[in-house]
Amino acid sequence: MSAVIKEAGQQDQKTLVSLCNLNKHYGDFAAVDNISLDIQDGEFLTFLGSSGSGKSTTLSMLAGFETPSSGEILVSGKSLINVPPHKRDIGMVFQRYSLFPHLSVRDNIAFPLAIRKMPSAEREKRVDAMLKLVQLEQFAHRRPSQLSGGQQQRVAIARALVYEPRILLMDEPLGALDKKLREELQDELRQLHRRLGITIVYVTHDQEEAMRLSQRIAIFSHGKIVGLGTGYDLYQNPPNAFVASFLGNSNFLKLKAQSNAAATFEGQPLSIRLTASLQAGQDVLLMIRPEKAQALSLEQAASEPLLSGWNEVTASVTEVLFLGESQTCSVVTDSGTAMTVKALSATGMPMKPGDKVRVRWAAGDACVYTEWAESDLNKVAGAH
Amino acid sequence: MLLTPNAMSPGLRFGLYLTTALIALFLILPIVFIVLLSFGSSQWLVFPPPGWTLKWYQQFFSNPEWMAAAFASLKVAVLTTICAVALGLPTAFALVRGRFPGRDLLYGIFTLPMIVPLVIIAVAVYALFLKLGYTGTLFSFVVSHVIVALPFTIISIINSLKLFDQSIEDAAVICGASRLQAIVKVTFPGIRPGMVAGALFAFLVSWDEVVLSVMMASPNLQTLPVKMWTTLRQDLTPVIAVASTLLIGLSVMVMVIAATLRRRNEARSTS
Repeated sequence: MSAVIKEAGQQDQKTLVSLCNLNKHYGDFAAVDNISLDIQDGEFLTFLGSSGSGKSTTLSMLAGFETPSSGEILVSGKSLINVPPHKRDIGMVFQRYSLFPHLSVRDNIAFPLAIRKMPSAEREKRVDAMLKLVQLEQFAHRRPSQLSGGQQQRVAIARALVYEPRILLMDEPLGALDKKLREELQDELRQLHRRLGITIVYVTHDQEEAMRLSQRIAIFSHGKIVGLGTGYDLYQNPPNAFVASFLGNSNFLKLKAQSNAAATFEGQPLSIRLTASLQAGQDVLLMIRPEKAQALSLEQAASEPLLSGWNEVTASVTEVLFLGESQTCSVVTDSGTAMTVKALSATGMPMKPGDKVRVRWAAGDACVYTEWAESDLNKVAGAH
Repeated sequence: MLLTPNAMSPGLRFGLYLTTALIALFLILPIVFIVLLSFGSSQWLVFPPPGWTLKWYQQFFSNPEWMAAAFASLKVAVLTTICAVALGLPTAFALVRGRFPGRDLLYGIFTLPMIVPLVIIAVAVYALFLKLGYTGTLFSFVVSHVIVALPFTIISIINSLKLFDQSIEDAAVICGASRLQAIVKVTFPGIRPGMVAGALFAFLVSWDEVVLSVMMASPNLQTLPVKMWTTLRQDLTPVIAVASTLLIGLSVMVMVIAATLRRRNEARSTS
C-alpha cells in the first residue's frame, strides 16, 4: 500500500474506500492505469479530467458496472470486487437522470425501498422525507417527463439517497443543465453534503464545478491520477506542469538553472523558489499564474523599485482585453516568449498594444518543475 | 426546397397530386372491390353488383368448414405471436447487448427468412416435417410461421432496445435490483412499444400467410387463406370475398391498434 497517495493533515480521518493498484484494460488500451487512492469517510471528492481520462471508468468500477482487470477496491477494509452492483449499497446519480419513465416521481424514489421489501408504512415515511429534502412534494405524482431537467436530477438524487447508502457516486450529474441552474444545484448539493455527512464521489470535466463542490480533487489524465489535493493546493502549487496547465491559466517560462535558487531566462538572471538538487545548466520550467504577475509601464516601473525576492523581465504588449471584473494583458518578451498578466479592473491597466512593459512576479509565487513533457504545456493535451 | 409542395409551380403541384392519387387508388381499389363484392347479390362476383345482400356472410358463418378455418387461423396466429415474442425478446437482447464474435453474422442469420424466397423455406420445412410426420399439425403451422415472423419481431424489439437508455437499467441495479429484476421491472416497460409492435407484426405475418400454410395444411387443419385458396380452385363463390373482407378487417384493426398505441406512447413521452 506504499503507492497510496497520502494527504497531509487527513491522517486522523477514517478511510472509507481504498482503491489499490486498480487497472482496467481494453485490449492494449489502459483506460485506468494503476490507480491507488484513499477516500475518507464523509468527504466530497471529485474526479476531474477530460473525456477518456479514466475518471468515469474508475467510477464505474466503484459502482460495479465494470470489473477491474486487476487491483482491489476496499470499503471499510472489505473487498468489493466480487460483490455485484445491486448488493454494494452504493447510491448513484447518472448524467441523463436515468429515472424510470413509466413510474411517478414518488414511485421512482420508492423503487429502491420496494426492491428491498421495506414495509409500506416505513417506505412512505422515507419517501415523504426525501420529497421534502429535494423540495418536490407537490410534484410527487408527476411522471419524470413532466419535470424540468433540474427537477428530474433532484428526483434522481432523492432516489439515490432514500436507502441511505454509505457512498454516493455522481457521474457528471449536472452536465446537461444550463449554467445558472447548474450553479443553483451545486449550492444545493454542497448543503446536502454538509447536512447528511455522506461520502460523495463526483465526476466532472468542469474545473469550476470541481472547485465549488469538493473538499478534494483527483485530477485524471490518461488513466492516471496526476494530482490529488484541495482545489486551493492544486491551483496554487500544482504538483506538475500538466496540472498547472490543466487547472486555470498559466504562463510557462523555460529557464536554465544556475543554482538551487537562481536561473537565467533568455540570458537574464532570475531568482527562483529554492528547489533541491538543481544542477547548473539544467533545463527547468517556471510557472506563473497570470494574476500573480504584474505588468508595469516604464514610468510606473521607474517610480516603484523592484522589491527583493521579485523578478522583472521586459516585454511589449500585444493585446489588452477587458473582461468585466478583470482584465488581461498579453505580452511577448524580446526573444518571443508569450505571457499573460491578469489584474482586477479596479487596479487599472493603462497600456496599449506596442507599449514596452516590465513584467514582475515574486519568486515565491512561481512554481519550478524539472520534468515535463511539451504536451503538458498545451491546454488541450490529455483531452482525447 | 424546389420539391416542397408550396414552392412548386401550380402545374407541377397538380401533376404530383394526380400521380399520388392514382397510385393510392391503384393500391386501395382491389380491397374496395373485394369488400363491395362480399355484399353483392350476384353469385358470379359481377361488378358493379346488381343488388346488395348479407347472404354470403350468412353462408360463411353457418358453414363449419369456413368457421373451422377461421378459428384455426386465429389459433395459429396467436400461438405464433406468443412464440415469436418469447424467442425474439432474448434474441434481441443478445444481439444488442452481447459482445461476442459472430454477432453480426447471427443477426444476418436471424433476419435471413425476410430475404429467402418464401417458397424455398416452405419446401424445406415441408420436407423436414414430412420426414418427421408432423405435416398437417398445429405444431407444424406454428413452427413454420414463427420462422417467417421472427425477423420482424426481432427487428422491432432491437430498434426499441437500442433507443432505450441502458443507464436507466443500471440505475435500477444500483438501487438494489438484480439484473433480471431490473430488466423485467424497468427495461420491459421501457421497450414495450417495440414488444407490442413485434407481437402485432408476428400476428399479421401469420394471419395472412398462405405459401407455407398450403404446404402444412391437411384436410383436418387449414387456415383461412388456405381454405380460400382451395375453394377458389373449385368455384368462384362470393363467400371468398367475405373471407377476404374478414381477413382484411382484422388486419386493419391490428394496424389501428398499433397506431393508437404508438400515438399514445409518443404523447406520453413528450408531454
